[in-house]
Amino acid sequence: MQGTPGGGTRPGPSPVDRRTLLVFSFILAAALGQMNFTGDQVLRVLAKDEKQLSLLGDLEGLKPQKVDFWRGPARPSLPVDMRVPFSELKDIKAYLESHGLAYSIMIKDIQVLLDEERQAMAKSRRLERSTNSFSYSSYHTLEEIYSWIDNFVMEHSDIVSKIQIGNSFENQSILVLKFSTGGSRHPAIWIDTGIHSREWITHATGIWTANKIVSDYGKDRVLTDILNAMDIFIELVTNPDGFAFTHSMNRLWRKNKSIRPGIFCIGVDLNRNWKSGFGGNGSNSNPCSETYHGPSPQSEPEVAAIVNFITAHGNFKALISIHSYSQMLMYPYGRLLEPVSNQRELYDLAKDAVEALYKVHGIEYIFGSISTTLYVASGITVDWAYDSGIKYAFSFELRDTGQYGFLLPATQIIPTAQETWMALRTIMEHTLNHPY
Amino acid sequence: MQPRRQRLPAPWSGPRGPRPTAPLLALLLLLAPVAAPAGSGDPDDPGQPQDAGVPRRLLQQAARAALHFFNFRSGSPSALRVLAEVQEGRAWINPKEGCKVHVVFSTERYNPEEGEGRLGKCSARVFFKNQKPRPTINVTCTRLIEKKKRQQEDYLLYKQMKQLKNPLEIVSIPDNHGHIDPSLRLIWDLAFLGSSYVMWEMTTQVSHYYLAQLTSVRQWKTNDDTIDFDYTVLLHELSTQEIIPCRIHLVWYPGKPLKVKYHCQELQTPEEASGTEEGSAVVPTELSNF
Repeated sequence: MQGTPGGGTRPGPSPVDRRTLLVFSFILAAALGQMNFTGDQVLRVLAKDEKQLSLLGDLEGLKPQKVDFWRGPARPSLPVDMRVPFSELKDIKAYLESHGLAYSIMIKDIQVLLDEERQAMAKSRRLERSTNSFSYSSYHTLEEIYSWIDNFVMEHSDIVSKIQIGNSFENQSILVLKFSTGGSRHPAIWIDTGIHSREWITHATGIWTANKIVSDYGKDRVLTDILNAMDIFIELVTNPDGFAFTHSMNRLWRKNKSIRPGIFCIGVDLNRNWKSGFGGNGSNSNPCSETYHGPSPQSEPEVAAIVNFITAHGNFKALISIHSYSQMLMYPYGRLLEPVSNQRELYDLAKDAVEALYKVHGIEYIFGSISTTLYVASGITVDWAYDSGIKYAFSFELRDTGQYGFLLPATQIIPTAQETWMALRTIMEHTLNHPY
Repeated sequence: MQPRRQRLPAPWSGPRGPRPTAPLLALLLLLAPVAAPAGSGDPDDPGQPQDAGVPRRLLQQAARAALHFFNFRSGSPSALRVLAEVQEGRAWINPKEGCKVHVVFSTERYNPEEGEGRLGKCSARVFFKNQKPRPTINVTCTRLIEKKKRQQEDYLLYKQMKQLKNPLEIVSIPDNHGHIDPSLRLIWDLAFLGSSYVMWEMTTQVSHYYLAQLTSVRQWKTNDDTIDFDYTVLLHELSTQEIIPCRIHLVWYPGKPLKVKYHCQELQTPEEASGTEEGSAVVPTELSNF
């Protein structure tokens, strides 16, 4: 900050004072635990050439951090999106302008967007609190789900327990629900939902399913037989960081939120990070891609946690990974067109499961191997599971077929969960009756 | 892919009633360097249906591409259709030229009215030119709605649109919970109509698009003879899972052909792909179709 012209007779705010004020307000904000994005903007910058691109890259290296890249500098022709805190706007814009970097304002005030979202969600939360129960027909935040888990475990502690299998990149607990009637190391069934954070219907289905299991134990003969002989593990929020991000900033975020030095884009596709055909076709080595497989197999803590858990347990007999959307039930391989050795058995089982699903609400699923039904994909969960010896490995793509896609209306949560349950039950029953 | 399996009667019989079984007929695949699964099916059981997934998926995608084109060409937000079921089809794959698909499929209204269960039927020829976008499409469909009724509905929509309070304060449609306010439904339908054009143009043999969300309305102008609508959407491409922001500008009037201009953010191509500068879907920035 320059001194005042014409001598120093007039005192202006000194740089020290200004900085102190800024630091003080950050501390205050931190102390209050509230992140405020008032006045923060998201700028879209178009770099003309490599030189301009590297100028943008320089911004990233600044300490303390001045900008937060949503879409990092990758190639000159591709736009770069960055969140600029209000306090840095002037400096950053000056930087861009002085270097001839064209930019536009994508979001004028992030806080306004957030407030609107929060209002909508608070509205639905108010309704839930007044009915004094958790609403299975609404979408929930991470905090709400974790809070429900604690309540749920407390209410059903005879069969349910909570296990923390690791921590996410942003240090969020990774939780698994264990359903067990006792015994030591019963053969087990694994179900995961939410590995892709934008697939909100999957977490919601998982929660309903957890509740269904405790409700039906002792009442439904099939489920009771299953639980008497086997344990069920459900990981509801397989990608907690991504999920939190879909609530706070980007509803269509898919990957996790891992950051690596020198890599401009954020996140790894957790369903391409497994050690089975890692890096092959149907996954991408470009960190900015939605199917970026990560630097190495199991590099992501969210994946490593599951691998370690299942491997240490050593007695899993079935693994079911739940996604959306497309209405499909599939088995390995994703990375190969060649069928697995028990393809016939999996085909028949899928067929039965899909029939059972159809009978509930008339919803049609197609089924088959992943590579021939959906697309070739490498480094995926069910391929790893199968290669690890888990014969019954399935992947669901829940409702719908594109009308709402990831934004499936909450009114469809319970019907979806009801029909999916019948398919899950079919697979679990078969697993029970075919020990190996 | 499994053939159409026999339907067990649903316990809940929707407005459609019990579905007719329509076996997948005559699936021929000529000039086979297509990815026919090697050794698919169970060698022990010759009766096992071929796991010929690629043609099946191709038929579905061709049907969807045909519908994008059909919806755009109809220029009618009240007559939008979605895919119900692929019934039969054939594909010819020529590694030098591309891929020709003939597909027969059923459709239903995008916005079914209460109790309406009618299924329309379409027949389409879709030609994907070797990984290039803008497939050539020849499609005919049986009529779901009477032409006169459709014109009336369109005109009603137009009048309703003119009543909308300007400027439209829209955050996103659907909202993050999938909800579309009934009062905003007609904006969504018009946005979908414009997006159909974009999605058709961008479709290739491997790239297939869905409309994920309308994210902003930049301009909404209603004149005596047009609706002028400038908006942004997010498209979801299935094979890459990418979310693609597009800005679309359309001009609509009931009964007149739809005019669309658009610009979508370039697709991010993987490093190891071909050395072309542009992505796999090169989109023209302007199109005036008449």
